Amino acid sequence: MSYAIEISGLTKEFLPLKSIYSFILRPLKKEKPFLAINNVSLHIKQGEIFCLMGPNGAGKTTLIKILSCLLLPTKGRAEVMGYDVLKDEAKVKSSIGLIGGDERNFYWRLTLRQNLYFFAKLYDLSNFQIKRKIEELSHLLEINGYLDKRFQECSSGIKQRLTIARGLLNDAKVLFMDEPLKSLDLPSARNVKNFIKEKLAGEQGKTIFFISHNLNEVENFADQIAIMHKGEVRISGTLSYLRNNVNSSSLSLEEIYTNIIKDS
Amino acid sequence: MHILEKMLAFIKRDFYIHISYRIAFIFEWISTLTTVATFYFVSKLVGQTAAPYLSEYQTGYFPFVLIGIAFSGYLNTSLQSFSSNIRYEQLLGTLEAMLATPTKISHIIIGISIWDFLFTSITTIIALLFGILFFKVDLSQMNFFASLVILIMTIVSFSSIGIISAAFIMVLKKGNPISWLVSTFAGLFGGVFFPVEMLPKGLKLISYFIPITYSLRGLRHAILQGYSFRMLLPDMIILLFFCVTLFPLSIWVFKKAVELAKVTGSLTHY
Repeated sequence: MSYAIEISGLTKEFLPLKSIYSFILRPLKKEKPFLAINNVSLHIKQGEIFCLMGPNGAGKTTLIKILSCLLLPTKGRAEVMGYDVLKDEAKVKSSIGLIGGDERNFYWRLTLRQNLYFFAKLYDLSNFQIKRKIEELSHLLEINGYLDKRFQECSSGIKQRLTIARGLLNDAKVLFMDEPLKSLDLPSARNVKNFIKEKLAGEQGKTIFFISHNLNEVENFADQIAIMHKGEVRISGTLSYLRNNVNSSSLSLEEIYTNIIKDS
Repeated sequence: MHILEKMLAFIKRDFYIHISYRIAFIFEWISTLTTVATFYFVSKLVGQTAAPYLSEYQTGYFPFVLIGIAFSGYLNTSLQSFSSNIRYEQLLGTLEAMLATPTKISHIIIGISIWDFLFTSITTIIALLFGILFFKVDLSQMNFFASLVILIMTIVSFSSIGIISAAFIMVLKKGNPISWLVSTFAGLFGGVFFPVEMLPKGLKLISYFIPITYSLRGLRHAILQGYSFRMLLPDMIILLFFCVTLFPLSIWVFKKAVELAKVTGSLTHY
């Protein structure tokens, strides 16, 4: 079985640095670390849409940041496309696209085209590839009419689509999407969801690691679903597996989710 | 090749952002020119009083201070640019997006500051040209290559301190004690506006521990008097010493800071 993402026994504890004094005095104090992720193990197949759900503070974004090499785990190991997140950082980063839910993280005084050009260069794309990619993505995400507008002049929806476009620039095999539909209106969200399912996962065989709070968003979309709470993955599998596990074939995802969160 | 293309992308990005603030862009240069003009009139006032202290350079106060003003821009850029740009990208949220790409963090650090160095170079050239054209400063004896070598060593040694300062910002977000300390002391003890020979003995001692003292002395000798490489060797050796000790240290400190930030989660926090 070839897995795009393999996580075993992953744990992340935070001991935040508040000031230089807390850093110096750290060895003398016994501060209790905050356990953000607790012994998480997951195996996600290539070409699969994997949806991770959970309440705020469950550890979902922390998990994505570890898999994107932006955070170091405290324990355990994780591989993306066979590359260890600790040992093969550059290869992991070349294999992934990161699409966040925060649509602000661009250069506000640059146009959408200038923003995409800059980030494409960081992925080592040639000018020819960049031009082609910007054309293709802007068309697919319906932002072609806004490309020469400044980022600050665009609506939240357009900004969010630009975030998606940036994550797709390097044609990555694995896409981490942290609430990517957050700022989109319903028809746009539906279009983007179809695009992810049919084009990215279906045609191109990309693996999608999708974080969402919206249960309706996930129900007919995900191949695998995991529910995370207080740093632990409480349950993981197909929707029918989740239903069997809670001993009801008629429960909606929302009801399953509520039961699992309530039980813990 | 990829590195050069990336650096060009950083330059383009910052150029477009910079020119989008057209008025500020123009004001920055006007302010440099007014500073140069102000010191021209101060030099008229100081006149012969400064002459005994400037005998080493065989020049008047205005050419002396013009070099100080023009090149102290590199000092400020080297010290401030890395940390302030890291903070700016953190606040904007773009640092995370950059760090998620396969671009090395060392290239990102250089990239986010490269425009500042280019802009400082343009400002320096404008200040020097202004001095030559309007105040008849004679730079005809300049040893260009020696000046360039000293300038590069100045940038490397001060950028090392700037990178250490950026490491602080990366982890702690606020507080930039190193840059503040060095830039404050460099202004007073480094010989930007007056020769260090004017300082009382005890304070003069401090100036020997600051690279800008050797940079400005070397640059003044190379630009105003056309000193050869051999004549500039004592200052160059000391600058080289600062470079070979501070630069590896700064890279080590920065790597440790990135590791720590990845552990604490402060790498991309606002």
